[in-house]
Amino acid sequence: MPTIRAASASLRLRSLDARYGLLGALLIAPTVLVFCTVIVYPLVSAIYLGLFSIYTPTMEGEWVGLDNYRRLLASGEFWRSLANNLIWTAGTLTLQIVFGILVALMLHRNLAFRALARSLVLFPYFLSTVVAVLVWRWLFNDLYGVLNHLLLWAGIVDLPVDWLGSMPNAMISLIFVGAWKYFPFVVIAVLARLQAIPDELYEAASIDGAGAWARFTDVTLPQLRDVLIVVVLLRTIWDFKEFDLIFLLTGGGPIIGTQTLPLMVYKEAFALNQMGGASAAAVLMMLIMLLFMSLYLSRARD
Amino acid sequence: MSAPASIVRRILFNVFAWAVVLVIAFPLLWMVLTSVKPSTELFVIPPRLLPGEITFEHYRRLLTETPFLIYLRNSAWLAAGTTLVVIAIATLGAHSLVRFSYPGRERLARLVLFTYLLPSVVLIIPLYLLMTGLGLANTLTSLIIAYTTFALPYALWLLRSFMKAIPDDLESAALVDGANRMQAFVDVILPQALPGIISTAMFTAILAWNEYFYALVLVNNDAARPLTTGVISMLVTSFNIEWSLLMAASVMMSLPLIVVFAFLQRYLTRGFSAGAIKG
Repeated sequence: MPTIRAASASLRLRSLDARYGLLGALLIAPTVLVFCTVIVYPLVSAIYLGLFSIYTPTMEGEWVGLDNYRRLLASGEFWRSLANNLIWTAGTLTLQIVFGILVALMLHRNLAFRALARSLVLFPYFLSTVVAVLVWRWLFNDLYGVLNHLLLWAGIVDLPVDWLGSMPNAMISLIFVGAWKYFPFVVIAVLARLQAIPDELYEAASIDGAGAWARFTDVTLPQLRDVLIVVVLLRTIWDFKEFDLIFLLTGGGPIIGTQTLPLMVYKEAFALNQMGGASAAAVLMMLIMLLFMSLYLSRARD
Repeated sequence: MSAPASIVRRILFNVFAWAVVLVIAFPLLWMVLTSVKPSTELFVIPPRLLPGEITFEHYRRLLTETPFLIYLRNSAWLAAGTTLVVIAIATLGAHSLVRFSYPGRERLARLVLFTYLLPSVVLIIPLYLLMTGLGLANTLTSLIIAYTTFALPYALWLLRSFMKAIPDDLESAALVDGANRMQAFVDVILPQALPGIISTAMFTAILAWNEYFYALVLVNNDAARPLTTGVISMLVTSFNIEWSLLMAASVMMSLPLIVVFAFLQRYLTRGFSAGAIKG
């Protein structure tokens, strides 16, 4: 009689909870220890360092209070980096979502060699950013890049395009490569959800006379809403804090044309040797992300 | 609709869809093709899609004339070390979060989710100071420690959702049969959670294998450099950028991912809801 057995067991489990609480704490102890050392301590430390002016090589510094923040908020570079960050995030996110949904719908249908098609589409996501950037820099190469040759051959441009060295090309290229690298995340999420939409919903809509477009807007999109809310939140955070792709593809250039906040933090700390200012910029960036997150979550709940 | 018309439509859809797939996959295809073309063919104008002859000369040079093998060894150690440390800690931690009750448990679970989203540029400066202070700068150990900052919350979150799916009754039954809770964990929970643990381990290994930012800041010598920063330093330091060499390196770097990816493919859409996909 498994149910009675389980019921008595769960009773016993509950009564022993107190005694086992200690064992539970023991099992979580390594996690808590590591969290405190590599996450909580650095986080607190970053906030603290942001109140000092520190020269990186000597690590000598003095207390400056909120001066770092005042200096940041008064500097054009900070606002430019924030603007770049928003442009990059909004641009690449929009492309990822639109393209991700379209490709997911396509892969959801009956396609010859569908498994292979899915693998080919999803693979860029699992690739190292280093590899993705190397490949794209080779494609973008101004002299021997295949992209320029294609455009010249098709007669779309008369001269090779400088994809990464001038504005606004650099930002557009960046947004585009970001979309290529990260849209498979949207595809995976949407595909998983599409498979769970019951066919009856589509049948009912068809009986009501809904065409293909109406079925998409009235059935598919509302069903995708919840998963898209989560996807947009995660991808916004990840795109906002992206470092590798931007640093490797344009290095923030030309000049600071594509420099986002994470790149600014890195430059302040390790090129300009201003640890304090860099920490302040990092903390400010985190605050902006938190603000955005709470705004988004409160809107999404409605 | 008549049958031939629907067949035509299906064919058109297939042609269109595969054209889209090939455009998406083209950069990777081009990477492989470039890596097996003789250097002389690289600069032919206009470029030819297929190589006139296939050569593995670039791979030979990569393995014999560059520090690629050192980077590869470092990356392998990093992926293995990070995975081992993180999985060991996270399996115990996830088990505790799911099956025990104590004050602060829910708050801890939320903290895990928060750190899952924490930007690494916030942590990097104190971590850099910590590693230099401990004398660990420029070592693989420093990177393994740094990688736990993102790999541990990730693995913990993932394992937690796997372990939640294991019915309580299984553990209860073992306890009724006289096992203590550690025995029940080892004999009942672990075997049940094994597929989840293996998948989490593989995803964690991918994260460590691909990591670039911490490696850029914390390691500054070839002896401890992993593939990501190592291959980039090959790009930066060379006078003439040798694209075929870099493409060969890119292919080599991606090979282990293809193997892991093939293994995890079936699991991707299912694991998504558990939070398996991070980026």
